[in-house]
Amino acid sequence: MSDRTEALDGAGAPVAEAPAKRVVPSWAWVLFKGLVPWAVVITIWELAAASGWSGSVLFPPPSAFLSYAIESDFRVGFGGDAMPIPIAILVSALRVLAGLAIGFAAALATGILISASGSFSDMILPLVRGLAPIAPIAWIPLGIVLFGIGNPTAVFVVFMGVYFILTISTVAAVKAVDQRLIKTARSFGASKGQVWTRVIFPAVLPQVFTMLRINFFAAWMAVLAAEMVGVKNGLGMMIILGREMFNTKLILLGMCIVGATGYAVDVLLVQIQRKILWWQQS
Amino acid sequence: MTTLTCQRVGKVWPGAGGTSVAALCDIDMTVENGEFVAILGPSGCGKSTLLELIAGLEPLSSGRITLDGKPVAGPAPGVVMVFQDHSLFPWLTVQDNVGFGLAMKKVPKPQREARVNELLDRVRLSKFANHRPHQLSGGMKQRVAIGRALVESPDFIMMDEPFAALDFQTRVLMQKFLLEVWLEFRPTIIFVTHHIDEAVLLADRVVVMSAGPGRIIDEVRIDLPRPRRMTDPGFNDYRARLTETLEREVTRAHAEDEGLAVASAA
Repeated sequence: MSDRTEALDGAGAPVAEAPAKRVVPSWAWVLFKGLVPWAVVITIWELAAASGWSGSVLFPPPSAFLSYAIESDFRVGFGGDAMPIPIAILVSALRVLAGLAIGFAAALATGILISASGSFSDMILPLVRGLAPIAPIAWIPLGIVLFGIGNPTAVFVVFMGVYFILTISTVAAVKAVDQRLIKTARSFGASKGQVWTRVIFPAVLPQVFTMLRINFFAAWMAVLAAEMVGVKNGLGMMIILGREMFNTKLILLGMCIVGATGYAVDVLLVQIQRKILWWQQS
Repeated sequence: MTTLTCQRVGKVWPGAGGTSVAALCDIDMTVENGEFVAILGPSGCGKSTLLELIAGLEPLSSGRITLDGKPVAGPAPGVVMVFQDHSLFPWLTVQDNVGFGLAMKKVPKPQREARVNELLDRVRLSKFANHRPHQLSGGMKQRVAIGRALVESPDFIMMDEPFAALDFQTRVLMQKFLLEVWLEFRPTIIFVTHHIDEAVLLADRVVVMSAGPGRIIDEVRIDLPRPRRMTDPGFNDYRARLTETLEREVTRAHAEDEGLAVASAA
């Protein structure tokens, strides 16, 4: 085309395409810095145990409880009740993810309905705000009464733990949606319904998801607590079994796996946020 | 095509504690079919409010606005708006942003895609069809916003300081681009700006507004041949006249503020 075409094309190179200059290879450096404190703690722990520290009976070092996993053939429990450790991890992780997913979807729907319904929100919000501060763990007894011992109870506990707080978060996020986006949509002929589904809904997703991430740890704890007191499998059961048998290796192994699994799920949530729900309200 | 008339248009916003703020007062204005009108005025003079009223996004407090004789009651087809900060939907790709209006009107996908591709080519962003807004520069974002406005072949485009956030070079290119588009499609354009040069460079007619409440204080027809340059003979006369009008207005507003301050101190 003409000269002015080139001029216009030159007017805006894409900003994000420029490669960032980094002096230090960043990921390796970050990984290194993250691992150093772990190495220090584990080294001190191992040295203390090796030098005959009496506490190592109650606090067996990683070398002892990790090798215990191999000795027990990566299984916990006895006979027919025995469960492979990977299955225990999967069971606990799936319970929390199911509860989070259902809670997230339900809270978005409720929050949007409340926001859309004007005066109805004055009636329903105080109720939600009264239920939100109840810790997920506090729902366990009710869950057991309602659903007995099993998966529904664990999912119920996670759901109740995040549903109310995410509903409040959705209502707040709807209020904060950039009015110019809404006006733009309307000026392009979007109906009221379309403004909700095509503008407000996508606009609030990242903020509510951030809230979900913040509440994930409480939900994770609740699942484990539920597994300790009633739901007889998963990682929580593994730890409580250790207590019942006074097997500190099993307890610490369980704690270690709980930490690692929780960390992994959090990383998964961060990745979802970065790759799928990356836009932020300004 | 579209002719706009505003008759004694007023807008009052509810303020804090039951008070109210008059944003616009007695706006009388006519914009002819295919005309390019610039609205010039200081910040807070109600320029944006006026556009929102014309676009049917806000109800009037008084007066009457008609498009081709029909009173405005809500967003009308063929009337589109471009905001200063481009207001692209960050979660949509460039092509989905451009096709937004067509998708809202449930235009079938094949037709929509064909039209979007045509427009992307026109705003020279075909290569960036699948990019997201945050990956684009300011000028490119504003081109997407203009593409999104043009995709429906609008009769009437309102632009609220569309180039204010751009650097000088990009702004000059965008002004040229807008004029090309206008000459090609001949939509009616209302272009809000606080740049005197930009107003004189682009518009057939410049409407000057004052602040608190917004009123029209002057109207100047720009009789310069296109394409215009800031170095053209005659350009300076318009610039001088508009500068003088605005300065007088700013001085008056300032004196009024001082007067208020004195009155409240006494």
